[in-house]
Amino acid sequence: MQDFKRAMHYFYRYLKRYWLGLGFVVIVTILSTYFQVKAPVYMGQAITELSRYLGEYMNPATHATASKTPFYHALEAMMVCFGLSAATMFISSFISSRISAQTSGQMRVGLFGKLQRMTIKYFDTHQDGKILSLFTSDLDNIFNAMNQAIFQLLSQLALFIGVIWMMFGQNVKLAWVTMASTPLAILIAWFVIVQARKNINKQQEATGEMNGYINEQINGEKIIITQGLQQASIAGFAPYNEKVKQATFKGQVYSGMLFPLMQGLSLLNLAIVIFFGSWLVVHDGMDKATGLGLIVVFVNYSQEYYQPITQITSIYNMLQLAITGAKRLSDVHDQPEEVNPANGHQLTTLQTGVQLEQVHFGYQPDKEILHGVDIKVKKGEMVALVGPTGSGKTTIMNLLNRFYDVTAGAVKFDGVDVRDFDLQSLRDHVGIVLQDSVLFTGTVADNIKFGRPEASDEDMIAAAQQANIHDFIVSLPEGYATKVNDESSVFSTGQKQLLSIARTILTNPAFLILDEATSNVDTVTEARIQAAMDNVIAGRTSFVIAHRLKTILGADKIVVLKDGQVIEEGSHEALVAEKGFYAELYHNQMVFE
Amino acid sequence: MQILKEHAKPYRRDIFFSILAVMVMAGASLWQPRLLQQVMKAIIADNQHQVLTNGIALITLAVIGLIAGVINTIFAAKVSQGIAADLRANQYRKIQSFSYGNIEKFSAGNLVVRMTNDVNQIQQLVMMFLQTLTRIPILFVGAFILALITLPRLWWIVILMVILIVLSSQVVFKQMGKYFAQIQKLIDQTNTLAKESLQGVRVVKSFNQEENETARFTANSDELARVNTTIGYLFSTMIPMFMLISYVAIGASVWFVGHGVVAHPDDLAAITSFISYLMQIFFAIMIGGMMSTFASRGFVSLGRIKAVFETTPDVTYASDAPEVDLSGDVTFNQVSFTYPGDTQPALADISFQIKAGEMIGIVGATGSGKTTLAQLIPRLYDPTTGDVLVGGVNLKKINEQSLRQAVAFVLQRAILFSGKISDNLRQGKSDATPADFQRAADIAQAAEFVNRYEDGFDHLVEERSANFSGGQKQRLSIARGVVGTPKILILDDSTSALDARSEKRVQEALDQELAGTTKIVIAEKISSVLHADRIFVLDEGRLVGVGPHHELLATSPIYREIYETQKAKGGDN
Repeated sequence: MQDFKRAMHYFYRYLKRYWLGLGFVVIVTILSTYFQVKAPVYMGQAITELSRYLGEYMNPATHATASKTPFYHALEAMMVCFGLSAATMFISSFISSRISAQTSGQMRVGLFGKLQRMTIKYFDTHQDGKILSLFTSDLDNIFNAMNQAIFQLLSQLALFIGVIWMMFGQNVKLAWVTMASTPLAILIAWFVIVQARKNINKQQEATGEMNGYINEQINGEKIIITQGLQQASIAGFAPYNEKVKQATFKGQVYSGMLFPLMQGLSLLNLAIVIFFGSWLVVHDGMDKATGLGLIVVFVNYSQEYYQPITQITSIYNMLQLAITGAKRLSDVHDQPEEVNPANGHQLTTLQTGVQLEQVHFGYQPDKEILHGVDIKVKKGEMVALVGPTGSGKTTIMNLLNRFYDVTAGAVKFDGVDVRDFDLQSLRDHVGIVLQDSVLFTGTVADNIKFGRPEASDEDMIAAAQQANIHDFIVSLPEGYATKVNDESSVFSTGQKQLLSIARTILTNPAFLILDEATSNVDTVTEARIQAAMDNVIAGRTSFVIAHRLKTILGADKIVVLKDGQVIEEGSHEALVAEKGFYAELYHNQMVFE
Repeated sequence: MQILKEHAKPYRRDIFFSILAVMVMAGASLWQPRLLQQVMKAIIADNQHQVLTNGIALITLAVIGLIAGVINTIFAAKVSQGIAADLRANQYRKIQSFSYGNIEKFSAGNLVVRMTNDVNQIQQLVMMFLQTLTRIPILFVGAFILALITLPRLWWIVILMVILIVLSSQVVFKQMGKYFAQIQKLIDQTNTLAKESLQGVRVVKSFNQEENETARFTANSDELARVNTTIGYLFSTMIPMFMLISYVAIGASVWFVGHGVVAHPDDLAAITSFISYLMQIFFAIMIGGMMSTFASRGFVSLGRIKAVFETTPDVTYASDAPEVDLSGDVTFNQVSFTYPGDTQPALADISFQIKAGEMIGIVGATGSGKTTLAQLIPRLYDPTTGDVLVGGVNLKKINEQSLRQAVAFVLQRAILFSGKISDNLRQGKSDATPADFQRAADIAQAAEFVNRYEDGFDHLVEERSANFSGGQKQRLSIARGVVGTPKILILDDSTSALDARSEKRVQEALDQELAGTTKIVIAEKISSVLHADRIFVLDEGRLVGVGPHHELLATSPIYREIYETQKAKGGDN
């Protein structure tokens, strides 16, 4: 119920601007339904009039006065109803399809925009795939539901009420007969849906387990082949496969049964209506002509009456998915956004330096990662941060340009707390080169100019040259116009990092944070990256998270971080002489003879 | 299609019953209007008895139809589940016969999709086929014939309606097909943009590009909304148009019946059932059209599965090769290797001989071919030209079992399977004893953490081995490699996550415990291979230097370059 409320709230937010169009759709749908349920009445009337005419025509006494005019009138009225029903249906469908396409577009943009404003914390605590499924699955489900279910629900509901209303207007007894089986139909439908749902859950569980097995085995195929485990793997698959088969069978029987069951019940109901209708005509002393017309009318109604009951189950499934999706989107909309202080300080250039003062921080409130860290970077200095995995190096980077905020202490630029700066001006002057470089779909030029789309080509080339990547780019057939995306293999991991260094150089930041790439870069490529880094660092205040000690040797100061605390600090020579943790790290990585 | 036919064979009986049930079901709904006509006739003729019997017949018919529908569902589900499970089993067996090259060509993720989603699509296709696609043609043809029988005079209305609907749907679907292709492209683009902004969220934020990214996305999304609206308009036109066609057909039938009622008074009883048949034809066309678009999706999946079944494994073993105890010698004779689809060879003209018990280090830049070379020894790939010999036997003529027994390959990215630690170790030696486990864990320096578990080697490995650190995974994976005391042990940078001290202990233990084993060690860090008997230096797929460390320093400039980047700063040793 809570979910439903949240979902409705979400829909309200996006649909309220279309209230006029939606209101119009409702009115037109009601009109359309009215014409749809009115038409059979005239059809019945036409048959009645026709049979009356035939009766009179056959009777010599009334032969001369028999007239087909009432028949033609009824037929005309029926055709008018049909025509208007189709026309109004067209109008309502036209408007509603426009509204649903526009709304889902706005929802998509709304979601994207929201994601852009959210804190990094959200992205760090949610898998990309999960977030992406908001776009690929949840928005899609909502669009489908709006297109097919919501307006369907409206028209089917109108039809249901309309049919009942008309039936009672025509013949109360037959109306009751038509509706008599409804509770049974609903009960059966409900039972089948509940069973199907229960089994589908089991089925998803079994399928999940099987997919897990397949995934693990095929992704570990190198091991399976080199250890000769193929037969064992096939044998291991069999029970998973069998379990899925068993679980899916029941689910499929129940969900597949719904339609034929409803269809069958509808036919049965029709048969009962015909049976009772004809019985009424024969035994209730009804006029034969009227009786014939009445049966025609009720044959139509009993089919139309069951249509919403049959449809509602598939509509229900679609709505269920849409409500789940809307609830998830609504949750995203309620996520905190990045806080930008009102009238924040503008960071123009760095005057004195950057400082971490007694910084305490944890990603989760009960798990502190940094326990009172003090680091000082003077203007123009390069400070290297080293330490084992999990020591908190990357965390410090996260604090410097406010991806996260400290829990206690402060990060200060020129003595001003980062939380007091205008966020954009802070990030404009803090350049970052990440460990894992990302490329965006577009050209190489787009990627280098990412932070400064208005930059000139000369500036871009100068940046690429400083980053040691220009020569490689011009060696490509299309040079800077080469199209890339994150999956393309034009650039190696090392070259990607060179490209992101160029990207950062172009924005000419006052303060630079470099996170060295570690994986898939051999020591020779690393030397090239090193040279590029030296170019960027020159004349700038910088902070390098170093994984290879080569980088560190050029640092003005080395800070050794372990378990969230600064344990050693000083120049390379001093630290080696200290024979502490740093000295050991250094000995581990270097070749000694 | 062939595949589907083969897999359907075992279920012939169930398919027969399913189709039989469908025929009964369709027959019941077709016969109902006939009975209605009888009832009407009886009313006109004032025949009470006839009304009663026909009424009871109507109800009986409906009940039979209902039961047939349920029976059909049960059989259809049985067949579709059976076919799906068999398809999965056979496909899996086929995949397990693949070489690593075959798997790489499809990519592991892609094969997983073919095993799961694609089989699901086919299962739904079969279900739909047995439930709907068999019913619709029967209904269509039956209703068509019965409509003509009911009111033969009005045959042309039936045909005209069918032609009009088919023609107009052709026109609309042609239009729509164009837009659907556009939509798919736009959806892909939109999703790519969303994915990129997620993966690059730190870059976007640190470069203050949120607004530009949103603008880029909005432009794309607006285009998507525009095409979606167009498709919506087409649908909005299509459905009422079809309705109108059927309405006109109904109106015309009533009018013509009225027009000729004096000459054909029986038509009065027939008109209602005639209209029922018209509507059945109408719905058969609508549902048939809808289903065939769904079915086309299933056929795409079928094609993808077919591709798996039709792939011939490109590494096969002679079944008549005798099982032999191979020695630890490894020989490469003028071996070149090019990855399928590449133009540049990954390995070019490599020849060497390794004696049993030797320790060989392999170094070189990323992409120089180190892993490729190592992968040829356990025959993950066959060389493009040249021969690889293990224990003096050409791999192309070797007995598979013998090769697996002789060679153990420890990967850089350690892969453990969910289950117990012991299950994973047993992959290296199926009849390993607890003593074997302990010895292997000791060598791999895994004992220190495994012994800390209360359940020891029975400790569970979670999915994606999430409960182990990178270093622990590597150590367990080394333990799996050494548990069977292989003749040849290949370590592909498999100690990268270990600290220097543990790495050294592993090396010492290997030297002691596996003295007779040929050890081939690929390393980024020269320190890992410093004490190897010989070091192979690879550069762009060529073997450019062979020899012990000191010799290479003097003779190989490439080796020296790598060494220089890792050398300690002079003097502070």
